Amino acid sequence: MTNRQDPVWRFLLPSFLFIGVFSLYPIIESFRLSFYRMILTMPWLGAKFVGWENYWDLATDPVARGSFVTSLLFVAVTTPIEVLVGLAMALVLNESFHGRGWLRAIVLIPWAVPTVVSSQMWRFIFNDRYGLFNYLIFGSATQNYWAPLAEPGLALVAVMLADIWKTSSFAGLILLAGLQGIPGELYEAADIDGATTWQKFRHVTLPLLKSALLLALLFRTIDALKVFDLVFVMTQGGPADTTNILQFYGYKKIFAEGMIGYGSAIAVAVFAISLLLSILYLRMSGAGIIRREPAK
Amino acid sequence: MIGLLVFVTAFLIPAEVGAETQLRFVTWRSEAARVFQQIIADFEISHPGIKVIQEIGPSSSTEFHDLVTQKLRNRDAEMDVFFMDVVWPAEFAAAGWALPVDRFFPPTAQSGFLDAPVKANTYGGHIYGIPMFVDAGMLYYRKDLLAKYQLRPPDTWPELVRQAQFIISQERDPYLTGYSAQFKQYEGLVCNMMEFILSNGGALWDEQRLKSAVHTAQAMEAVRFVRDDIVRLIANRGILAYQESESLALFTQGRAVFHRNWPYAWEASNDSGQSKVAGRVGVMPLPAFSGQKSAATLGGWQLAISRFSRHPQLAWEFVQFMTSSETQKRIALGTGRAPARKDLYHDPEILKRSPQFQSQFETFTLATPRPRTPVYLPLSNILQRYFSSAIAIADSNIEELARSAARDMDRVLDLLRDRRKS
Repeated sequence: MTNRQDPVWRFLLPSFLFIGVFSLYPIIESFRLSFYRMILTMPWLGAKFVGWENYWDLATDPVARGSFVTSLLFVAVTTPIEVLVGLAMALVLNESFHGRGWLRAIVLIPWAVPTVVSSQMWRFIFNDRYGLFNYLIFGSATQNYWAPLAEPGLALVAVMLADIWKTSSFAGLILLAGLQGIPGELYEAADIDGATTWQKFRHVTLPLLKSALLLALLFRTIDALKVFDLVFVMTQGGPADTTNILQFYGYKKIFAEGMIGYGSAIAVAVFAISLLLSILYLRMSGAGIIRREPAK
Repeated sequence: MIGLLVFVTAFLIPAEVGAETQLRFVTWRSEAARVFQQIIADFEISHPGIKVIQEIGPSSSTEFHDLVTQKLRNRDAEMDVFFMDVVWPAEFAAAGWALPVDRFFPPTAQSGFLDAPVKANTYGGHIYGIPMFVDAGMLYYRKDLLAKYQLRPPDTWPELVRQAQFIISQERDPYLTGYSAQFKQYEGLVCNMMEFILSNGGALWDEQRLKSAVHTAQAMEAVRFVRDDIVRLIANRGILAYQESESLALFTQGRAVFHRNWPYAWEASNDSGQSKVAGRVGVMPLPAFSGQKSAATLGGWQLAISRFSRHPQLAWEFVQFMTSSETQKRIALGTGRAPARKDLYHDPEILKRSPQFQSQFETFTLATPRPRTPVYLPLSNILQRYFSSAIAIADSNIEELARSAARDMDRVLDLLRDRRKS
């Protein structure tokens, strides 16, 4: 037993090192910095240890609170829709039909395009004068054209739409893998029992897809909490601060304003929220995502 | 493991290139990259032994700031010279990132440049950048439309609104709007709003007392005017999402009567290849509120030397070459951008190419810099949030928003007060 453990560690070491250097260290460092008051443009203030002060400021900062609500709203709206759209995609792509291979590749395009590029594209689509969005709805009646990115009530919806377009196929990919793991015999047995298509979906597909669904939800939730590039390109947090999600606010604090301590506190808060949500999902799934019951 | 590290670091150490010294110049993508290329080639010919490496960054000022400050934070000794936006010198000076260039660039040399940018580059009694281009907000208008209705270009903002409304009602063109400018929540919004506030006798802050001034009556009145008269009466809602390029496109497509922009819009709107209104454009200082003076926000770019440069003397030689009268003239002729040297505004060749400089000169000399303070960017983010909320929501409570913005600004400015004491 003991002499078997050595080679295992040797094989694991590179990936541990990788995770340690690129994931663990930055997280710990952000956590450490979040306890300091450190403003790059005011070096005379030095790096002063302030304990939980940054977190206290964060809790009482009305802008941060607004950003927090915006972020949660963004996650709450986009993730369920993305998983549902992804499910529809996966169900279609799981059927056998002519040209399925092509279609599978095509639906992945939105996900494969770099977000900065697609955000720029959506910014054009939502342009108030020559955007495709207006043209599709109003045709040449330009006096009716909307300016979605200029309306405080619509800008966030526009960003959400872009996110749903972009990442639904990623959820679809996970669900497709889940679907393909369902043995065909189960459907044959259901057919013999005279089950309808809906009954097969409800009683065979859905229960067996549960862990894939939770996995897709988990990935999408974490990603949606971290959304940044869409906002950066499309709205810069405006209008009237309505798209100022927490990640973007933190970025501005650190990179534009040089407030390293406070910005780190925001980053840690985002990290804590996604950790919390991840644990919640894992609990919900009965840890089915990470531990597969051996087949009996 | 150690062997691996040694192996990796061997690649990170730059190879010595003979006796040649490399200067790294961090710049943005220029409309006229070839002009810069040639000038740099000429510099290398006249300064044998120096090789200038251009590192091209993003052209958006905000993103360029991210790039440059990242290098400076990391004390990157590779970067020697970089472009600096007119609002950065105080920040870079306080952070110890930009080299004070007083010994190279004494007041006698400074007097060759426009006063406003020189002042903007000065912080705490030292100078940190040498002005290259100057920018200032100005009003573009459709000469043909104003002439058609026998209107004189507007002196006051209410007059501009009345003229725009009148022209739109007469033209019956569903595409035509009265005003296009930069009202998206970003740095450009601060520039635009500052012009409205200053031209109503207000200010963004009280520089002496280090206090916000956005909740004064004049400042709030100007903001209310933008919400109720400009945005509601004569502009598209879309203006609230416009940066420079979108607002300019509207004007060059012949869809706006009035347009606020920087000097570069003159070239763009008179280039018949990309503009439908070429030759029908007028330019003038921005209007004011009645009884007040016109105001323009100062913009522009300077060359600065990194504090971490290993070759400050050579870097200065390069900066001196780039900002010399001859080079600025070449760049002005090659790009059409407004130079920062005063004498070039009397240069017959430049005036022949860019006749508008003659009338714009006054605007350049009177342009007002944005608050010169190391905490400008935090202040700007507060202001962007305030202005966008105040003008994008039709029934916004301007008084409350202004008070809360002033409180936030004062809190940031208090950090500076600590320094004065110490």
